[in-house]
Amino acid sequence: MSSIKLKGSSSGDVTITVPAAAGTNTVTIPAATGNLPLSNLDHVTNRPNAKPLVLNGNMAVAQRSTSTTGITGGGHHTIDRMKVDLSDGGTWTQTQDADVPTGQGFANSWKLDCTTADTSVAAGTFHVARYLFEGQDLQLLKKGTSSAEKVTVSFWIKATVTGTYIAELYDVDNDRQISQAYTVSSANTWEKKVLSFVADTTGALGDDNGSSFSINLWLSAGSNFTSGTLNTTWAGQNLVNRVVGQVNSASSTDNNVYFTGLQMEVGEYDATTIPPFQHESYGDNLQRCKRYCQSTFSQGTAIGAATAAGIIITCAAGTGIGRVATGHQFPVSFRAVPTIVIHNQTGGTTGSGRNGDTGGLITMSAGAASTDAAHFENSENFGNDGAQLQFQFSATSEL
Amino acid sequence: MKQLTKEIISTVKKVILAGEVNTYKVVDNDNDVYFVPIATDNTDYQAVQEWEAIDGNNIADAD
Repeated sequence: MSSIKLKGSSSGDVTITVPAAAGTNTVTIPAATGNLPLSNLDHVTNRPNAKPLVLNGNMAVAQRSTSTTGITGGGHHTIDRMKVDLSDGGTWTQTQDADVPTGQGFANSWKLDCTTADTSVAAGTFHVARYLFEGQDLQLLKKGTSSAEKVTVSFWIKATVTGTYIAELYDVDNDRQISQAYTVSSANTWEKKVLSFVADTTGALGDDNGSSFSINLWLSAGSNFTSGTLNTTWAGQNLVNRVVGQVNSASSTDNNVYFTGLQMEVGEYDATTIPPFQHESYGDNLQRCKRYCQSTFSQGTAIGAATAAGIIITCAAGTGIGRVATGHQFPVSFRAVPTIVIHNQTGGTTGSGRNGDTGGLITMSAGAASTDAAHFENSENFGNDGAQLQFQFSATSEL
Repeated sequence: MKQLTKEIISTVKKVILAGEVNTYKVVDNDNDVYFVPIATDNTDYQAVQEWEAIDGNNIADAD
């Protein structure tokens, strides 16, 4: 190791030390006047993205519900942006949980609790936790070009079943995928996984609002997905090579799986070099999630709950007419024109509002003709001049 | 919130709003009601298209 010592003009000195490194290395000092930032240099990261690529990776926002039981199929059940694909893989409860890795700055995790086991995994069984991206948000990967970037996925997992799990990147636009095995070493213990994937010079992602790319964290899979050889390089998908070696997370009702701190970085990192998780304020996080899901229910109240909080009230005009129409402008533009579900304060029944005078249910219609506004009206006459139509709604345009 | 798929769709009917048909009223096998826009980038609309492609499934006209 060589050093140069620069003597100060009055007293003291500064030593510049060259680390032991092979080859010829060049460090260019910018032509500028000022001081180099020497404090916390290990937290300086030159990300190409200003905000986290993965929304809600800290599992803080759960607009739909903080707990959903009896899950046997796919969907976004609790945590915003976090989806499962599930078929014949047991029954699960999902919860926004407070169990988190110590000292990492997380307050929430996504808990998946097996409530009915699937001990005999059928060939077509699958259960996978997914995060899907719009193609226009991942153009910085330069996928499908000679300049394509490597990608690193990092997350915390706590699982009852130890052994081999499969993480997968899936190019939806071009039906290409790459898999990587990782190990859960200790049961019911938080472990951080950092998985780097090679670049893919084939298959560009669409520069649009469609579903182009996903992170797939597998929980169980049948032989349709596991009977080949694990594909660890980018290739056109061959089902049998996608999930080879995956343990069965649904083997017992004692089993839980927790995730938090999901992040995706452009570039190749390992457990030492991975940039720190980018924490956002709850408000910023929520606003970004509203591109995919919004409702009139309060934060922390499950969509469809029996509550008057958040109801929209509109009044019939004209004696004997009892027809009402109203509009609503969404506070955040949706990804695509959303699907709307109408709720009422009695809970349970969808597609109906409530007659504010009689309490009876009123069949309604709704439609969003754009990503920014929706139209609501009752489909059956009710009451007279001044009668109230009360309703709530949820709107989604998930990937 | 469950995902609308062709497997759980029960009925689909056109809806006239503001004089135009730009929405389907979709009822699933739990009798939940969805108002799905006729928009190709909406994934629920994509599910309706898959459902309609199955022999015997038809989208009903508006009332």
